[in-house]
Amino acid sequence: MPALVTPGSDPLISLSSVVKTYDTGEVPFTALKGVDLTVEPGEFVGLIGKSGSGKTTLINMITGIDRPSSGDVVIGGTPIQRLSENRLAMWRGRTIGVVFQFFQLLPTLTVVENVMLPMDFCDVHAPREREAFALDLLEHVEMADQAHKLPAALSGGQQQRVAIARALANDPPILAADEPTGNLDSGTAESVFELFEALVERGKTIVMVTHDGDIAARVERALHVRDGEIVDDIRRGGRA
Amino acid sequence: MTIAPRWRKVARDLLAHKLRTLLVVLSIAVGIFAILVVMGGRGILLDSFGTNFPKSDPASAVLYTSPFGSELVDRVGRSPGVAIAEGRQAAVVRYRSGDLLDVSEPPAQMTQASPPRDISLVAATDWAAVQVDRVFAQGGAPWPPGRDEVVLETSSQQISPLAAGDVVTVDLPDGTRKLLRVAGFAHDINAVPAMFSGRLVGYVTPQSMADLQQGAGMNELVLSLSDAHLDRAGVSRAVSKIRDDVVAPVGIVTYSAYVPTPGSHQLGDIFKAVSILLLALGAMALGLSGFLVVNTVSALLAQQMKQLGIMKAVGGRVSQITAMLLTLVAVYGGLAILIGLPLGSYWASWFARFAGGLLDFGPAAATPPLYTIVLAVAVGFLVPLIAAAFPIHTGTRVSVVNALNATGMDSQRFGHSLIDRALGRLRGLPRPTALSLRNTFRKKGRLALTLATLVLATSVVMSVGSVRGSILKTVSDVSQWWNYDVEVNFAQPESATLVQREALKVRGVTGAEGWLVTAAALKRGDGSENDQLSVVGLPPRTRFVTPAIVTGRWLRDTDSNAVVVNTDLVKSENLSVGQTVKLHVHGADRQFRIVGVVRGQLMGPVFFANQSYLSALIGSQGSVTRVLVRTDDHTIAGQDGTADQLQRHFTDMGVAVAGVQGEASNAADLANQLGILVTFLIVMAVILSAVGVIGLTGTMIINVLESTREIGVMRAIGASHASIFKVFVTEGFTIGLLAWLGGAALSWPMSYALVRLLESAVGIPLSFEFSWQVVVACLFVVSAISAAASLLPAYNASQVSVRDAIAYE
Ligand SMILES: Nc1ncnc2c1ncn2[C@@H]1O[C@H](COP(=O)(O)OP(=O)(O)OP(=O)(O)O)[C@@H](O)[C@H]1O
Ligand SMILES: [Mg+2]
Repeated sequence: MPALVTPGSDPLISLSSVVKTYDTGEVPFTALKGVDLTVEPGEFVGLIGKSGSGKTTLINMITGIDRPSSGDVVIGGTPIQRLSENRLAMWRGRTIGVVFQFFQLLPTLTVVENVMLPMDFCDVHAPREREAFALDLLEHVEMADQAHKLPAALSGGQQQRVAIARALANDPPILAADEPTGNLDSGTAESVFELFEALVERGKTIVMVTHDGDIAARVERALHVRDGEIVDDIRRGGRA
Repeated sequence: MTIAPRWRKVARDLLAHKLRTLLVVLSIAVGIFAILVVMGGRGILLDSFGTNFPKSDPASAVLYTSPFGSELVDRVGRSPGVAIAEGRQAAVVRYRSGDLLDVSEPPAQMTQASPPRDISLVAATDWAAVQVDRVFAQGGAPWPPGRDEVVLETSSQQISPLAAGDVVTVDLPDGTRKLLRVAGFAHDINAVPAMFSGRLVGYVTPQSMADLQQGAGMNELVLSLSDAHLDRAGVSRAVSKIRDDVVAPVGIVTYSAYVPTPGSHQLGDIFKAVSILLLALGAMALGLSGFLVVNTVSALLAQQMKQLGIMKAVGGRVSQITAMLLTLVAVYGGLAILIGLPLGSYWASWFARFAGGLLDFGPAAATPPLYTIVLAVAVGFLVPLIAAAFPIHTGTRVSVVNALNATGMDSQRFGHSLIDRALGRLRGLPRPTALSLRNTFRKKGRLALTLATLVLATSVVMSVGSVRGSILKTVSDVSQWWNYDVEVNFAQPESATLVQREALKVRGVTGAEGWLVTAAALKRGDGSENDQLSVVGLPPRTRFVTPAIVTGRWLRDTDSNAVVVNTDLVKSENLSVGQTVKLHVHGADRQFRIVGVVRGQLMGPVFFANQSYLSALIGSQGSVTRVLVRTDDHTIAGQDGTADQLQRHFTDMGVAVAGVQGEASNAADLANQLGILVTFLIVMAVILSAVGVIGLTGTMIINVLESTREIGVMRAIGASHASIFKVFVTEGFTIGLLAWLGGAALSWPMSYALVRLLESAVGIPLSFEFSWQVVVACLFVVSAISAAASLLPAYNASQVSVRDAIAYE
């Protein structure tokens, strides 16, 4: 893995004057109105705001799942709008682990195979070693005993743990999650959140969209999004 | 006027999902197309045959006799039961194309560039007044032909490049040559097409016949009987009576008689075979396109499931929703008809022209008959509606909750069937490959339909290969018979010692043997006769042929009235070893005992007898009518060269030659004739393959559409274009491979059935050979095609936008 981060220098994530306009509707709609944002390595950032405020749009800018209409997005020193769609996908596979609200495990692959898939796509680890690494990750999310089941046989919380293990498969420095607990009951959501906290402890940078007020209150840094703008940036105790 | 929102939804569904609309429309259109080409083409053929054959006023019978004059024609015409009698003069002459009058002895290269060929010339006293077996001049050809002119039968174009205005040089019996100008073409539906006989047919006047030194008498008596209701046996009895009571008493010898089944065409059996194949193909095309439509329509409805739930949730009644979906499907059908109908009609008439040209059926309509168009339109509307009925029925009855909950990655569960578990146990595959393999089996119903289409297509292609192989094997098995290179037939019996000695004088000839061939009629139990037979007298120990005994034994030197029959005869007359048969030979009825059956040479029914016995029986005193010759060069060119030399040699010494034939070109002609059926099978295979390819592409497009979300996820976790491309191409490839396996398994019984079907259709025994090479070749073709068919869908897959793919809705 090339060193993406030089500690103490540039921020890991940097957005400047990011505008996103959708012109799919009758009239063009500006969902992000010139967002500036920097995230340092090791931060745990929560994006909160009302429905339709632009949280998903913003996190999609960071993961490169969508492109800004104008402005710059630089992740780990890479200006990602310069990457082709194809290069971007492979860059994302190594740099950002994505966790979805609806888990999105591939139903025909077993749990451990789902975790190995990003390694196959990005050619991380020697092919023979991939299963061991995947089992290791599953151990970490306490899913190793279910490794050879198909996703359909798991509960929602279990599926989301597997999805997190998959997001970590290529050991990316950043984890991006859009409402990862949105589909889970509060107890399960709590254990997923604890998993995230433990990852931050181990040095990962996490950006997470959440609706859950309790969880929002516990992140290190909460960004409030309203009408396509970041209106509040609250840092809380801990490691400032 | 406002349009109800639900009808607006129908319109938007059509426009918004252009690829899906295109796919559904194409899969219906391909069915319409295939059915129209096959059934429409067949309809055009049937119509043109149905018009042109009766228009020719086909003869009830034709007697082939020694020369006669117009008094005999008048006398036969006045006989009871005869409506019309006409005479024709027929002769086979050799020609070369081009004006070679000034070339003294064509050098070898000249013979190769412009080889001598046979043409059957037919003359009628007045072509314009002919009322039986009519011939119709085409494209303004002069009719009757002028002096020094020949009008060729249209089928001549199948084997010869001769065109109006060309000249040919004809060899005359006295060794000189004469030019004939090709004046144009005429259609004679009762002529054997050149492709089948290997020889051209041309029409001239009696004057031209005389110019070509062919004598003056007529030698074919063409009859039309007044009783149109007679069956073949009845016609045969009537004709025998005319032969014995009217023809024979004035000293005219009847060599053989052609008595067709009344109202049937000489190629009727082959056409029947082709027609059955076409019907089978039409049914298959209908079934396959039905599969395609079921596939696409049920996928379409699966996609609509959630919207169905919403419509029901907001109060849509089942009948309203059903009407909406059926309208959508009917619109697809209408669009498909717009595409399929014109294309199908065009290719139907192309196909009819092609097939009609081979069979020489004459002028044909340019458009398929109305009923086939109605059929195609009905198929275009009904098949999709029927295909949609079941999924619509189940789909509209799904509860609102179930329909709305169809979220997440996949509503259909993977992992429960045996196949899924077996695939799940397949370890050690790279995950993308495992994904392709397991996704292949995710929608089992769709996979089954796709595979059914492809398996049928591949097995038909493989079987066509085996049919072709069997035909080649038949020709090679049959060729085992010929241990000689050239056969020369004489117009009259000639001294055996003379012709053998003279044949050996020709350069390249290494051996010669004379045979005695005489026409015979088999007296059947019901009083009718089979006049199309010959008895061949040959030395029992002949080394010039290798008889392949099927049952019984070959001839012995001590045999008297023993005969060996060939399989062609056994098949048509139902004879067996040990039976005694009555033959009318040389004016008298004789008893013969069948002692054996040999494999036929596909050259018609023959009795083989001990030459010395036959010679004594007909008093021919050691003369022969055919000499078989062995040469040192067994190639087609070598044999044809020697054949030419022999013809020249015998003609020069005043021996009238009725025909010479090199055996290799004989075998090649045979292969060509049977090859026509292979051509039809290939057309069939191509159409089915097209349906299969479109089916596979369609399935892959649906799979990709339904995998949109998965593709988005894969992109989100780092899959490159190439990785996603590979996932889907592998899936297509896997389906192709499975189709190949199924096709290979099915191809053996199918090949066997096809060969047996052809055998009964053409009435000659065929050897069976399964063509492994084609099966192996198909593996490569199927792999390539299935990979190619998934290229477009795979490309679409790699273009999926991640945001849209994983958006919640
Ligand atoms: N593909 C799109 N085309 C047009 N407009 C869009 C599109 N996606 C989002 N929008 C609009 O952009 C705005 C922001 O959407 P976004 O999905 O980012 O909201 P959100 O904060 O994630 O909401 P939620 O909490 O409901 O998920 C919304 O008003 C939405 O209507
Ligand atoms: Mg959102």
